[in-house]
Amino acid sequence: MIQFNYVCAFFLIVLGFYTIVTKYNLVKTVIGMSIMDYGVNLLIISIGYTPGGTAPIFTKGELTQASYFVDPIPQALTLTSIVIGACVTAMSMSLVMRLHESYGTLDTREIRRLRG
Amino acid sequence: MTANIFLNGLQYLGYILIFPGFLFCFLCGMLLVGIDRKLVARMQKRVGPPILQPFYDFFKLCGKETIVPAAAERTTFLVAPIVGLAALVVIQLFIPIHGFTAFSGMADIVVILYLLLIPALAAILGAAASGSPYAGIGLSREMVTIIACELPLVLVLLAVAKTVGNALGTGLCFSMSEIAEYQLQNGSLITKFSMIPAAIAFAMVIPGETGSHPFDTAEAETEICEGMHAEYSGAPLAVFKLSHAVKVLTLTSLFVALFFGGIGTGIIAFDGVIVFALCVVATALFISFVHAVTARLKIEQVFKYYWTVVSGLALVSLVLAWYGM
Amino acid sequence: MNLANMTDYHHFPIYSVMVLFLGAFIIASTGSKPSKDPKNPAGFRAWIALCATALSLFFLGSLVKPVMLEGEIISYWMGSRAIAGGYAIGIAMEVDALSLFFALLIATAVFVSAIYSIRYMVHDECVPQYYVLYCMLAGGVLGLVLSGDIFNMFIMVEILTFAAVALTSFRTKVYGALEAAFKYLVVGCMGSTAILTGVIMLYAQYHTLNLAQLANLVPGTMNNATKLAFAFLYIGFSTKAFIVPFHPLAADAHGAAPASISVLISGVLTKSGIYGIIRLTYFLFQTMNLGSMQFMLVFIGSVSMFVCVTMALAQHDFKRLLAYHSISQIGYVLAAVGLSTSLGISAGLYHAMNHTLFKGLLFLAAGAVLHETGTTDLGKLGGLSKKMPHTTVLFLIGAFSISGVPPFNGFASKWMIYQATYQKAVESNNIGFLLVTIVALVTSTLTLASFVKVTQSVFFGQMPKEYENVKEVPFGMRLAMGILACLCIVTGLFPKTVTGVLTEPAAKAVANVGEYITAMGFKSNLPVPNVTFAQVGVWEPINWLLILCIALLALTIPAVAGKYDRVSEHGGPLGAAIEMVSGKNDQPTVDENGEVDTKYQLFYGGEKNVYSQVGGGDLFWGFKHNWRHYFDFMHNLHSGIVNDYALWAVVALALAIVYMMIVL
Repeated sequence: MIQFNYVCAFFLIVLGFYTIVTKYNLVKTVIGMSIMDYGVNLLIISIGYTPGGTAPIFTKGELTQASYFVDPIPQALTLTSIVIGACVTAMSMSLVMRLHESYGTLDTREIRRLRG
Repeated sequence: MTANIFLNGLQYLGYILIFPGFLFCFLCGMLLVGIDRKLVARMQKRVGPPILQPFYDFFKLCGKETIVPAAAERTTFLVAPIVGLAALVVIQLFIPIHGFTAFSGMADIVVILYLLLIPALAAILGAAASGSPYAGIGLSREMVTIIACELPLVLVLLAVAKTVGNALGTGLCFSMSEIAEYQLQNGSLITKFSMIPAAIAFAMVIPGETGSHPFDTAEAETEICEGMHAEYSGAPLAVFKLSHAVKVLTLTSLFVALFFGGIGTGIIAFDGVIVFALCVVATALFISFVHAVTARLKIEQVFKYYWTVVSGLALVSLVLAWYGM
Repeated sequence: MNLANMTDYHHFPIYSVMVLFLGAFIIASTGSKPSKDPKNPAGFRAWIALCATALSLFFLGSLVKPVMLEGEIISYWMGSRAIAGGYAIGIAMEVDALSLFFALLIATAVFVSAIYSIRYMVHDECVPQYYVLYCMLAGGVLGLVLSGDIFNMFIMVEILTFAAVALTSFRTKVYGALEAAFKYLVVGCMGSTAILTGVIMLYAQYHTLNLAQLANLVPGTMNNATKLAFAFLYIGFSTKAFIVPFHPLAADAHGAAPASISVLISGVLTKSGIYGIIRLTYFLFQTMNLGSMQFMLVFIGSVSMFVCVTMALAQHDFKRLLAYHSISQIGYVLAAVGLSTSLGISAGLYHAMNHTLFKGLLFLAAGAVLHETGTTDLGKLGGLSKKMPHTTVLFLIGAFSISGVPPFNGFASKWMIYQATYQKAVESNNIGFLLVTIVALVTSTLTLASFVKVTQSVFFGQMPKEYENVKEVPFGMRLAMGILACLCIVTGLFPKTVTGVLTEPAAKAVANVGEYITAMGFKSNLPVPNVTFAQVGVWEPINWLLILCIALLALTIPAVAGKYDRVSEHGGPLGAAIEMVSGKNDQPTVDENGEVDTKYQLFYGGEKNVYSQVGGGDLFWGFKHNWRHYFDFMHNLHSGIVNDYALWAVVALALAIVYMMIVL
């Protein structure tokens, strides 16, 4: 049922978009960005999945039809993506802290000195 | 070989300095302004100044003291009028006179469109450098007038390019000398049905570009003391007056070259006279007459007028030209 | 590995990226203790950054001969892991003329901005970290354009987005800097996520990440998933190029960042987005022969150029105004590139180059004003030309260039764009492209108008009293601006050489996708197209300038010999009256004999002291009045709420997906 994974992944991405668009709290915006990231990670890992595959570790023995493994590249990509997602969260949370210090609020509707 | 280059150089120097360069621009431009003033006076039942009055004004101003205001940025203030005039003379060199172009193959109509910006820009920079608030208001209005005139001018030039390009089979033609050549063989462009709205639109652009009534909001002497020229005196002011005269000549001769080309004899001296005569007619119709019968518009009315009525006419012409009519 | 092998120019692309990251690493590892020199708080770290950028520029510059002139495509496999079993296993760099063109632009801008930074970043805290981020940003963008691997492109996008966000908020005290950084981060991350989603969906279909191999496999096997991937990738790179509807972020980020970083964001980051879109549309999916795709790019380009120039007209902050102009010029680039004719691509790339040069110059000039006066508010500034004459001249060169005044470089490229669009209209017999020509021409005039506004309200006009002690900026900053100004003039005067050496090879590379694929070791059946750059118009800047010079000389000699010796320095008729009014010159002028000069007393009224600078916001009232509904609407639309901008991004993505599904 790998299709279910795809649906869930896109659902998570859309949920992230929805959170960013509709929530006026900065912290919730950051949560939305994280959800978006997790959606993509799920998508990547699902794409690399092969039914019945083993861990992508090179063994000395002969490769047979029975011993095929999941695609290793998406797993590597996911690792990179997770790291980047963590960085995004850290960076945006530090910005949120500084914003709260200087604006005294977390409401995006009030953080709009730059407009027009 | 060396003698040849020398002679060629001398010939081009002659083009720049005498005909159709400085001397020609100076004499004809001033004459056009003189005729214009006389005609307006006559239409308003005044006697008016003598036709040579602009010459007298010019030389008298040259003899006056030049005063640089303390708030002004001196270099820009003094250099700006000269750059503007030089650019106008250069445009005149690119406009064909019945098949004769002093410097062909160096610029096309889009370049001329942009060169026309330089004199206005020079005036604006000079005005800005004078530091006067009157000049500030004047330059802001001048800029709006430029924006207003730009759209119809662009549409007209593209319509001409398309019409000539259709006839030549290349699809479009930006070259001034090719447009002149085409008119030599096939008669003036004004005879084309589709070009009539464009010609009218261009005629309406002439008073706006030269800053004459009713589009002289940028100068508006009764209101903002000549606007951009408020702080100018003496020789720089004389150069500005001369620039205005040359601009009248440039725009009318561009009008003649675009729509009334192909009228002439093939002898440069006669052609010069014929073009000048056509310029006089154009000045009389589009500058003097309009001046005599209208009052000054507000700046937002100027803008609206150009972007609706004049641009509409030009657009009609462009669409007609596009469908080959 | 011997020395001869190491100095082989095939290694130069990776060197040029690595020196920047290495520089960042070295600077970061030297700690954050500021040096004692007040003129250079970062000390030797600034020189490390400068050396890294200079080396990077040198490496790329030495690639001009093989890649641009001889047409070689450098393919470079990291660790020599080349193709195995028909699939690209290793990570590749591929440098064709297009990549090198953008890389040269980037390296030049980065180098010049590094020179500028040394003297510019003196009032700030934590300057060492600034150089770390600076090198990271430069390396990220350079890596993006030189990469031959789509996932690496994504990594580089993330690196540059991070560095750019951090640098945007570097001056945390600046009005709105944190806010701008946060908005940029949110929408930038949505863009990055879109790119990653697109990349992974391509991988799911074709099991490769190599650009050349994808370009070989994707066209002809398009299904709904690839179309979806295309839409995601396109929107992702659009956020990096800041084209409509992502332009408000550009305005915020450019305005708040230090000027040396605004140069990079506007001159370099936007270029990386444009590069991504070109790679995507011309190489990866090869959809540009479709009228619908041409329509999309040209339409978005035209909308960008017009909307942003009108937004710029309504601004009253120097850098924010420049930021909107930046996107307006990117609109020109996109519209020209979207024409899908070789002349159009060449013109677009030429304009992209010019944009980097003149916009860099303008941002640096804005930075110089900020450095000396402490503000960029057009309403507060005025009359700086007497205090900062060099900056004024350099700014004017930039302003003339961006407004397309001949003979500066902006004119040369815009003129090519007009021709390309008009030619396209005639060839395809589609009157829509003609509209693009008209919009481009009118936009150019509006650009001129808004720079007249800046010139009048910053450098000319009346000077407020508090700027009496303003000085010219240090030489290091003027040097950086001078380099860019010289480049602006040179590239404007020799358009044929510039297009011949730089943009035409790049445009040929765009047309010749087959070679890009085969250079990497894959088989391609794509034909080698016949590329011509025929133009209808004529423009000879050198001859024209010669004529203008002779005319100027002819005018100046009698003028100087005649009456200019009588210039007197006291106030002019109106000037004197205004000085009285504005309180600058309360005393009537006294002549040499100590007697009161009564010549101008006629004009002295009894008015109170009034400071009468015409504010930047009030210029062009006549224009704005007619368009007031439009301006009000646009002002309300750009609400500054991050949710709105995120919503625009989502809507743009949705529209892109629907459009791709329908037309591809």
